[in-house]
Amino acid sequence: MSTTHQQQGQRGSEVDSPDRGDKPRSAGGPSPSRHVDPTRRQQAIAAWALALPFTLLFLAFTLGPVLASLGMSVTDMRRVDIRTPFGVNFVGLDNFTKLIEDPLFRKVTLNTLLYLVLGVPLTMAIALFVAVLVNRVNRLKGFFRVGYYLPVVTSIVAVSVVWKYLYRDNGGLFNTVLSWVGVDGPGWLDSTTLALPSLVLMAAWRNFGTLFVIFLAGLQTIPKELNEAAEVDGANGWGRFRHITLPMLRPVMLFGAVITGIGYLQFFEEAFIMTHGGPLDSTRSVTFYTFDQFGFGNLGYAAAASYLLFLAIVVLTFVQFRLLGDREDKVKR
Amino acid sequence: MNTSRTRAIRRPLAALTTAGLALALTMTACGRDEGSSGAAGQGDAVSDGAATGTIEVWAMGTEGDALQDFAKGFNEDNPDAKVEVTAIPWEAAHDKIANAIASGETPDVTLVGTTWMGEFAESGGIDPTPADLVDPADFYEGAWGSTEVGGTSYGVPWYVETRVLYYRTDLAKKAGWDQAPQTLDELHQFAADMQSKGGAEYGIQLPAGGTGSWQTFMPFAWSNGATLTNEDGTEYTLDSPEMTDSLEFYKTFFDDGLSPTRTLDAGELESGFADGTYGSFISGPWHTGLVEDAGVTQDQYAIAPFPGADGAPGTSFVGGGDLAVFSDSDNKESAWKFVQWLSDPETQQGFYDLVGDLPAVKSAWDTGKLADDPQLQIFGEQLDSTMAPPAVPTWDQLSAAVDSETEKATKGDTSPDDAVSAMQKQAESIGTGL
Repeated sequence: MSTTHQQQGQRGSEVDSPDRGDKPRSAGGPSPSRHVDPTRRQQAIAAWALALPFTLLFLAFTLGPVLASLGMSVTDMRRVDIRTPFGVNFVGLDNFTKLIEDPLFRKVTLNTLLYLVLGVPLTMAIALFVAVLVNRVNRLKGFFRVGYYLPVVTSIVAVSVVWKYLYRDNGGLFNTVLSWVGVDGPGWLDSTTLALPSLVLMAAWRNFGTLFVIFLAGLQTIPKELNEAAEVDGANGWGRFRHITLPMLRPVMLFGAVITGIGYLQFFEEAFIMTHGGPLDSTRSVTFYTFDQFGFGNLGYAAAASYLLFLAIVVLTFVQFRLLGDREDKVKR
Repeated sequence: MNTSRTRAIRRPLAALTTAGLALALTMTACGRDEGSSGAAGQGDAVSDGAATGTIEVWAMGTEGDALQDFAKGFNEDNPDAKVEVTAIPWEAAHDKIANAIASGETPDVTLVGTTWMGEFAESGGIDPTPADLVDPADFYEGAWGSTEVGGTSYGVPWYVETRVLYYRTDLAKKAGWDQAPQTLDELHQFAADMQSKGGAEYGIQLPAGGTGSWQTFMPFAWSNGATLTNEDGTEYTLDSPEMTDSLEFYKTFFDDGLSPTRTLDAGELESGFADGTYGSFISGPWHTGLVEDAGVTQDQYAIAPFPGADGAPGTSFVGGGDLAVFSDSDNKESAWKFVQWLSDPETQQGFYDLVGDLPAVKSAWDTGKLADDPQLQIFGEQLDSTMAPPAVPTWDQLSAAVDSETEKATKGDTSPDDAVSAMQKQAESIGTGL
């Protein structure tokens, strides 16, 4: 009974969908008389009624703000205009050209790219390495899983404050340990060259837990027979990792690369707490810049900056799908 | 398979773009109203008689906690009025006020940080001060200046703070200094002696950059005759020889190793001052309590006015809080009367006794503890020679640019000359926002 209803419901919605509007309605359909079928009509109404709350919420709280911010990005709206949001000028793409010309925006773009190219491989490599190790451990698996995942669920503010102390020039843990072997450690967060990699290292430590759990799950789906067969054929450990584990993990790695990449492109909290974007803006990211611009009340300009970031995320994700995605088509050729 | 997927994605994207463009086009129909840029006149005078009705007040920090009880004094003369104070944290205050103005759901009176006045006045959210409510001459000049946006006053100064030199007297004695440095050149020598003879690791602690470092750097520039804007506040004048000289001078403290270039963590300055790491620093009145909490005894340190150029008194930064009445308030008359009461010299003195805020009204300093305490006298003396940043909506953004260019110069990334030109260039592109 319920299956018939579902089928009918589906057909009903096909009729309402504008895509099918060009099809000749009278001819060909499975039941030509469905336009007058009152049951289907009722079901269509019921479907829309059920979908209505979500649709309204979506329009009001998701699509609305997205469109409003898109509109904002092509105006010169500032915070002083909040009482008269329509009393602003349309400036076209001025905000975008101004952004590209702003030397600070170029600098933060470069910083963000650095976060990305340093952070994603590092985080993924650590996660994969630890996942492969833990996959071989038979005891205490749950313990390791919880342990490595713990940094992800701790408060980023607390973690950042603690790491700030670890990185301290005088009396910080890292420099104390270095002094034991006679090395005079640098002021990690006070150096324009070391501050950004230091933040990446901390972010990698904090974030690899998620990827680790995902990779571990991926590793467990690889059939044991494959490895056994390879072993019989005389493949060594590295060979098996390179030619079995990595290819089998490709879909999981793609997912990991996409979410980690998006995370690093939106890098913000660590820099906000640990370095305030300094020294000399060397750790300021695009998100940080956007945050500053919103703080200065340049709403239109900030909206434009966030759309550029959005564009960058779309491009990055597209590239990752190309590089890591399904390669069936190539195999066929 | 692949192409059909991209097409499916492209369609909503196209729809989004069209909708966005449509929205943008409807906006062009509106556009800015060009006639609104002239200076607004002061508000109509407030009538005589007692205040009535409920007066809702927002106040931040200590002021917010103490004001409700303190306002009982207002009720003695205005029995029909009821003051309701809501305490809000400083961190949330700016956005809360901005949102209230945007939605039109505002209280009647609010405390406003002096550097926010430009923005809120320009947005039309707060009312011009009624004519003859108070006499501007009763207030410290720098404090009154913070309420004036485009030539119109939009509030009344409530309390003030200014920056002075804190130094360790015991270390200074060892270094051969019986009194505080009187000129900027002496300050440099003083810091050097504190380090070489006094035993401090750093003679002075100055911020090399970072948010708010302009509040320490600008007194050096102001004392040297530099200004941020011209007389009537219409143009930025950052690119002056005086400014370049000041930045060059400021930079020598870092080049000569007299001050650390790194940003200190919270609490590091106070503990470093206590253990002799930093011989001196520049800060506001709140630091007397903080250094004493860190273990510095009263006879171990002293404060002195900011040194000037060639024996003239130095010009320091003045900040603090102003009281403003919202345009959307439905009880404006009574609200202004409450503001008037708070700026009465006696009330100001009473509030100082309660929370320790330095009064913005000069005559409040003539009697009581404010007149007798030698430490407070230094602040009182300094308040006669202060400057406030221009009250423009874009000051936050410009000050960030000044901070960042100052940092570039102190850390040797650019020359002071280039840094000052860059400040001016950014100031011109940011504009006054008026």
